[in-house]
Amino acid sequence: MESSKNKEEVFERLKQAIIEGDEVEAVKWAEEAVKRGIDAYEAISKGCLEGMNVVGDKYARREYFIPEVVLAAQAMNMAVEVLKPHVKMEKGPSGVVVIGTVQGDVHDIGKNIVKIMLEAAGFKVIDLGRDVPLKDFVETAKQQNADIIAMSALMTTTMPGMGKVVKMLEEDENLRRRVKVMIGGAPTSEEYARRIGADAWGKDAVAAVELAKKFMQEKHV
Amino acid sequence: MTPKKRALLCLTGNKWKADRVSAFDPLTTATVEQMEIVKAPFPDAHRSPKLMAKLAAAAWEIVGLEGFKVPFDLCVQAEALGAEIHYGALDIHPSVRKPAFKELEDFKIPEKILEKGRFPVVEGSVKILREKYGDYLPICRQVVGPFTIAGHVFGVEKFCAWIKRKDPEDLLDVLLQLADLNVEEARAALQMGADVICIADPTASSDILSPQTFKELLVPAYQRITSKVGAPVVLHICGNATSYLPYLPDTGIDAFSCDAQVDIAFAKQVLGNRVAVWGNVPTVKVLLQGTPEDVKRACIECICKGTDGLIPSCGIPPRTPIENFRMLPQVASCMVYV
Ligand code: B12
Ligand SMILES: [Zn+2]
Repeated sequence: MESSKNKEEVFERLKQAIIEGDEVEAVKWAEEAVKRGIDAYEAISKGCLEGMNVVGDKYARREYFIPEVVLAAQAMNMAVEVLKPHVKMEKGPSGVVVIGTVQGDVHDIGKNIVKIMLEAAGFKVIDLGRDVPLKDFVETAKQQNADIIAMSALMTTTMPGMGKVVKMLEEDENLRRRVKVMIGGAPTSEEYARRIGADAWGKDAVAAVELAKKFMQEKHV
Repeated sequence: MTPKKRALLCLTGNKWKADRVSAFDPLTTATVEQMEIVKAPFPDAHRSPKLMAKLAAAAWEIVGLEGFKVPFDLCVQAEALGAEIHYGALDIHPSVRKPAFKELEDFKIPEKILEKGRFPVVEGSVKILREKYGDYLPICRQVVGPFTIAGHVFGVEKFCAWIKRKDPEDLLDVLLQLADLNVEEARAALQMGADVICIADPTASSDILSPQTFKELLVPAYQRITSKVGAPVVLHICGNATSYLPYLPDTGIDAFSCDAQVDIAFAKQVLGNRVAVWGNVPTVKVLLQGTPEDVKRACIECICKGTDGLIPSCGIPPRTPIENFRMLPQVASCMVYV
């Protein structure tokens, strides 16, 4: 068994590597985590995501700017690539999620974090990427028999696209009954989700996982 | 006083020699309602000199803004450099689909670039406007600034990562080449009859770059443009550019068009009479979502804070109601100096 001190050290190193945007260190400590048999989900959430949170705070304080944020996100993605295959899949209600950042919007750092956490929680995630044509959400959900559509928007100018997707979905009553819609991203809110007819709004990636699980439970009752 | 003379005085820091502040908008003026009235809709208006001129003219004919600005989108340069463009729709501006270059070393400006892409369309529209309106109204030719073009042709994130990873000299070299492209296109437009050049560099926002990077990579690029163009230059940068203000006099620009987050009174204090400040009626909260009364109030506030030109804080959102947009020239024209 790993001592908790040992674990803490790895998390801390991972976190620091991401804060500094150092992908070499990030990969090294992700590999170290695997080698030492540390739980990969924990390494992602306590190392990588914690690191990214610090980066977000630094950005908000104008200590960091986008160049630093981009390097941090790259380091995080590399570390997660190493850890992902080692995540123990949870049993229980897993389902299929179609995720993407809506048309006109290229902000995908938050969306990627949500995707990572959903995958880590055992969901099959179909990632449409960013600047996704609105009809693609609905078409993919239909083709892939998805349970959930998850949309991200970071700009007030692109937010309305999410409402349009809900409208398109509503054109097919059966599909609307089958597919739950959750939204997120900094300018969105609970209130906004309600206004556009989405089923839920999530503040962060942890909330996204809870919502997705809740949807699946409701479905199986 | 003609609107052109007034605009030029206000752009060059000589507001008090004009009868009042100008309402000549050197940022994007096109809205969906105007497109419908003059029958020059997006995306067609991006690709035909005639339609471009027609829609640009609607700013004066329909809204009452005191001059014209072309083109409407930010992709002309990137497209001519080889990036893949999506032309958008009636209410969606064109955007870049795919960058043109992978590595910094791949960068190359093609020969005779001004004959490529939509450059001939833009220059053609300037010519039409000049012929039709004579010397009465000013024409602004927008050039997309070096940093935004770099973001378009390499990918913003990649270029941002290079700021941390590559030799600044190499990045500066590319930005200066792009500045030279700006000079070349600006001169072509001036020959066709344009009066003012607006550098629109939205990606150079202080939400993206540190003041240090702005100083090291962008100030020299803007200097290159202003020292060679030979016409008044306005610079527009989106977002809260307050931290950039101290560096602006070094760029050689005549006027700075600031976004809603910048306090005009503060900007005037920092810049004194070295750079004129234009702005900044909030586009989303006031022009798009407010009432004409709200716009009027915001306009008066801008004038009281000392703006040199009464314009929106950024490019106008396409769904802005004309009755709101109209308040700018209306308020400007009642506020005559005494
Ligand atoms: C990074 C960034 C960029 C990067 C994006 C890189 C990338 N690959 O994503 C680059 C440099 C490319 C960029 C470009 C631009 N940007 Co920018 N950018 C940002 C910035 C600084 C951070 C966004 C971010 O990544 N946050 C960190 C992540 C982790 O947070 P998050 O996305 O909110 O996600 C979390 C939650 O919201 C939630 N969540 C997210 N999605 C979902 C989905 C679901 C289903 C659920 C449940 C939860 C959920 O979980 C996530 C993890 O906890 C913001 C400012 C800000 N403070 O938000 C501006 C910002 C979003 N950008 C802005 C703008 C204007 C632009 C540009 C136009 C250029 C400019 N002038 O700044 C271009 C536009 C490009 C385009 N067409 O989209 C504005 C938007 C203003 C508006 N209209 O609303 C902002 C707000 C900055 C500002 N104040 O001006 N940008
Ligand atoms: Zn702007």
